[in-house]
Amino acid sequence: MNLPIKNALAERKTSLVPAPAAAIISLIIPGLGHILARSYQRGLLLMLSMGSIVPLLYSRISQVGRRQEELLDKITRSFQLEPILILATVAVVLLYIVIVGDAYRLARDRTARNSLAPFSVVLICFFVLGWQIGDIDVGLFIREIGDAKFRLGQIMWPWARAISRDASETLGIQEIKIPCDDNPPPQSEQTPDSAWLTASPTCGNLSLEDGTQGSILTLVAGNLTPNTEVDILWQDPVNNIFRQRQGGEYITITTDENGGFELDIVMPYRLIPNSAADKSLIWKVRARQLSATGAIGPSTELLLAMSKMIETIFLGMMATLFGIVLALPLSFIAARNLMDGSSATLAIYFVVRSLLNIVRSVEPLIWAVIAVAVVGLGPFAGIVALTLHSIAALGKLYSEAIESIDTGPIEAIQATGANWIQIVIFAVIPQIIPPFVSFTIYRWDINVRLSTIIGLVGGGGIGFLLIQWMRISDFKAAGIAVWFIIITVTILDFVSSEIRHRFV
Amino acid sequence: MFEVRNLTKIYDDGTVAVKNVSFSIPDGEFLVVIGLSGSGKSTLLRCINRLIDPTEGEILWDGVDLAQIEGEDLRVVRRKIGMVFQHFNLVKRSSVLTNVLAGRLGYTSSWQSLFGRFSEDDRQLAFAALDRLGILDQADKRADELSGGQQQRVGVARALMQEPRMILADEPVASLDPVLAHSIMEHLERLNQEDGITIICSLHYLDLVQRYASSVIGLREGEIVYRGAKAEIRGMTDKQFREIYGADAERVGDLTGDLNSDDQ
Repeated sequence: MNLPIKNALAERKTSLVPAPAAAIISLIIPGLGHILARSYQRGLLLMLSMGSIVPLLYSRISQVGRRQEELLDKITRSFQLEPILILATVAVVLLYIVIVGDAYRLARDRTARNSLAPFSVVLICFFVLGWQIGDIDVGLFIREIGDAKFRLGQIMWPWARAISRDASETLGIQEIKIPCDDNPPPQSEQTPDSAWLTASPTCGNLSLEDGTQGSILTLVAGNLTPNTEVDILWQDPVNNIFRQRQGGEYITITTDENGGFELDIVMPYRLIPNSAADKSLIWKVRARQLSATGAIGPSTELLLAMSKMIETIFLGMMATLFGIVLALPLSFIAARNLMDGSSATLAIYFVVRSLLNIVRSVEPLIWAVIAVAVVGLGPFAGIVALTLHSIAALGKLYSEAIESIDTGPIEAIQATGANWIQIVIFAVIPQIIPPFVSFTIYRWDINVRLSTIIGLVGGGGIGFLLIQWMRISDFKAAGIAVWFIIITVTILDFVSSEIRHRFV
Repeated sequence: MFEVRNLTKIYDDGTVAVKNVSFSIPDGEFLVVIGLSGSGKSTLLRCINRLIDPTEGEILWDGVDLAQIEGEDLRVVRRKIGMVFQHFNLVKRSSVLTNVLAGRLGYTSSWQSLFGRFSEDDRQLAFAALDRLGILDQADKRADELSGGQQQRVGVARALMQEPRMILADEPVASLDPVLAHSIMEHLERLNQEDGITIICSLHYLDLVQRYASSVIGLREGEIVYRGAKAEIRGMTDKQFREIYGADAERVGDLTGDLNSDDQ
């Protein structure tokens, strides 16, 4: 009884080739030495590893050094550009040596302990190559984290953007003629009950590109709101309004307790078209006070995010609803225990099950891209995509619930003299309701989560806003969207787990 | 009077589960069916209330052939035959009370069942049944919260709700330990003696058979191989009992012996 095992053990000890030969063969074709030394699995594994690592390394090197003609130039160039490739090459050479050594060791003594060293080196090779392929740059991540901090800060605390106040404007205006001619405009009237601004003189020259200073104007204003900041703005002859800078900063001044100020300014630089250069034209200088006197209200962004969040929740809900309605009948014909009556019904079962599996294996985002192509941008595309995926997922879960139904109670209820409908109500439904409710809530949960991102590909909902705001770098607005998503998903998580807990 | 004549059941796959079985018992009998697993006990019981349709033969109860009736008639007959199962077959997630009330479905209109409603009389009946089996305090619990013995008592209460003239009990104590087994068998015995309900019960243990049966039939490979009245059962020896279980039982023993010798 034990004899064959002993023979096998004895045979196992002898290699087909002497140890040095095994080493040399492994040097030519890594792993072959092992195979000849009767370490078949180990040899095959190492051969496969080497056979995939070396071409992989070669393809990376020739891709990084693709500008060079000669292989050697490619290698040097790629080593310069991506020093990690040096490490990868060293690892592969090391693997070569380890494999050769291992083959020698095992060929000399078949009972030698199987060392893990070759496989550790294989792992290292894959890891280093993966690092290069993944373009991993931890340094970059650390250097750039400072920039991210600012953006993250905006996303994490975006609430300044959530409120807005109606601002009212108080204005004093003075006409200025540029350049001066015989007929400068008069000084503005010092009205007794509304804000006013005068300048002297009321004409002058703009600063020039070469650095020549423009004329100096003395501005005097009155009847503004006391102790409040004033901006100085200019309005050019074609009614473009711009804030004036002086020394790189916007000019602002705070009014005194009477609501007045006096300020000297140098007339600003402004590029004017050649056609207008010789003419004397009327410009206007404006003293503007903005006061947030209106009521505090939600900002446009907040309102938009809210309405899109509602759209998102309903999108997920409608998709779940349609999913349930369509998955219910499907689940019965996808349940094996109901369909194994004849080969025809069994064929239907296989077809339906396969269809459900195929639909389910395609990600909802891909379905959304397809749905957008069919029905266009907007929430309906998202609903179509999520409905498709829900039908497949729920159909499978429901039918598995039906398959796992216990037939005992059906038999027992039948034995009481109950009719068909009574059997369904008392023996079937009580058994499938808990799993159905559980799966449905779970799916609703998933659908609302998915509907927050389905907008990224144009499927409607808050994801659409989020991606827009991200693209225009409006991180505060994006932050509002992110907060809405987090809050909704958290509430949903809690509610769905509570409901499932109660039912199951 | 209940009589089975030449009953045969052949399944679709060709298995002959019950072969030409005939017996008759007076009302109020406690008939025990013994035999190996797969000897056709369960099939025989299920043919009586037509959970399984027999292939051939007659099942006569007060002159009516149960093998022939269909539809509404069958349901009216079924509600007079309670059934108790080895694995209790309760709806696990429903309450004990609902499970017991389900025994009343044969008397309830579909319309009322649609809303899960039962009459006040039925509810009183359910409480009385639970009280009789000593589990009134468990009425509001979910069926799967109860112990095995309690669940089987719910099963008996459900059968009792049908106001049955006969109870079919398919290995009612095979999933219970001996103490609980006696308790369940005592409940069945009480229903048999106090209410005059005919009991047809399949059992495994000789001591239970001797203690409760008023007559016995033994099945082997679907055929009746033993008939015994009360007096004969009391005198039955283990050896006789084993004969009913036939060569199969011995072969199981042989096989074990082989394995043992192989071990050494």
